[in-house]
Amino acid sequence: MAVYHLKTPLAEQDVRQLKIGDTVYLSGRVFTGRSRIHRYIFDEGNSLPFSVESANAMIHVGPIVTRRGGKWNLVSFMPTSSLRFEKWGAASVEAWKLRMIVGKTTMGKKTMEMMRSFGCVHVSPQSVSPNLWLNSIEILGVELFEELGSIEASWQLKLDELGPFIVDIDAMGNNLFETMDESIGKARDAALEKMGLPEDFSPTRLY
Amino acid sequence: MITKDCLKKAALLAIKRGATYIADDVFDAFERAIAIEDGAAANGLSRTLESLKISREKELPACPDTGWPLFFLKVGNEAMLEGGLLALEELIKDAVRECTTAGILRKTMKHPLTGYDPGDNVGENVPGFTYRFVPGNAVEITYAAKGGGSEVFGGTRHRMIAFSDGVNGIKQFIIDAFAASARAGAVCPPGILGVGIGGTANIAANLAKEAACLRKIGSHHPDPMFAELESQLCEGINSLGIGHMGAGGRTSVFAVHIEYAYTHIAGVAVATSTNCCVARRATVRAGENGIQLMDGAYWFDGR
Repeated sequence: MAVYHLKTPLAEQDVRQLKIGDTVYLSGRVFTGRSRIHRYIFDEGNSLPFSVESANAMIHVGPIVTRRGGKWNLVSFMPTSSLRFEKWGAASVEAWKLRMIVGKTTMGKKTMEMMRSFGCVHVSPQSVSPNLWLNSIEILGVELFEELGSIEASWQLKLDELGPFIVDIDAMGNNLFETMDESIGKARDAALEKMGLPEDFSPTRLY
Repeated sequence: MITKDCLKKAALLAIKRGATYIADDVFDAFERAIAIEDGAAANGLSRTLESLKISREKELPACPDTGWPLFFLKVGNEAMLEGGLLALEELIKDAVRECTTAGILRKTMKHPLTGYDPGDNVGENVPGFTYRFVPGNAVEITYAAKGGGSEVFGGTRHRMIAFSDGVNGIKQFIIDAFAASARAGAVCPPGILGVGIGGTANIAANLAKEAACLRKIGSHHPDPMFAELESQLCEGINSLGIGHMGAGGRTSVFAVHIEYAYTHIAGVAVATSTNCCVARRATVRAGENGIQLMDGAYWFDGR
């Protein structure tokens, strides 16, 4: 498992070299969003009011931000589950030319396929450690604040070695969590047997 | 008479403490897990614990998802409240608003159809209120945050089990429900798995939520039959290898807590409710002589 220190804008070869299980630290410009920005663009027909060319990594997150003395103050920041944005995952990679999505959990088959063909990865933190990150994130500005509100708005950030993240979807079509399903399934069968369930136990369907 | 001022202060302290100061039993559970994990799993747990320590010191939210705000109120039978119980709910709502403005809570609660954000986490039937009436003349306000991850991805669900399947059906449902919800770290494992057995589906679901959020981690049900089931399920789930945030490891749950109710001869409702590893709760007692921070978990005392 290799460790990479990457900086946006990410080149295709930057992410093509990554394999599931690798560790990534990310620097440079990125933007944030969650459900509302996807719906606003892909379902409601609006266009993104900013360029993502130099910030081609998106973080799925709803941060806590307060306003103090005319300046934004980042209180708490931890990626949210990307699973819930699967409906728009492939479209976001294609339309915004994303090389990396940072989020919690993982994404589904359609997004994985787009990531494989375009050259994009999904990475996730393996901890819940918002306070360790506050010094690695600078708020440059915010877009769509009036339209989407502070949680769903697109925060424009500059990162300094934010991480560690683990690569859970690589650009070769692999998913880290899929590779764990088989061993978890076997352990599940063994656990139930140890708990006294007969091998042929089948629950009665009441509905 | 317990004054409105006193009740408001108690609610504010419970929210602030609950959101920022993770309890000692949760810290101990992290320490135990770190001691038995290797490599990446131990590192991830250590990073989470380090962040929780900073939250305590700097009074920062333990997680940006400050969750559904839930209040569990133990009301003394002889307690006299200025303005009565209706005033108590309004004072707690005001406390939620203030904590949201201060950045202790994120603006998370929305209209379910329109997505409208009131900006203060207060709306129809939210925050949630659950009451117990107990002897005495004080009010204990417990704040618990139920995070989106642990609630949205199947951490809370129920099934009706046929009597013909018995405890085997209960065990299989619980193991499969947890494994599905913890995949890829969706419920932020290691979780605290609350289980409700019996009653109607909603009684079971409420018991499961209270078992997940309001019991001391690793405490056992006083009935040995349920205590044994808790131990078996905990061991079984921890053998699955899901680990912190789903990336593998020996600790997938910190504990399994079961509460039960008598049920109908037709079947057994079983509900699960998983709390995330960043388990947030705090209790403040308001009495005629002021407020008192209660460290610990007392909801089920006298069950």
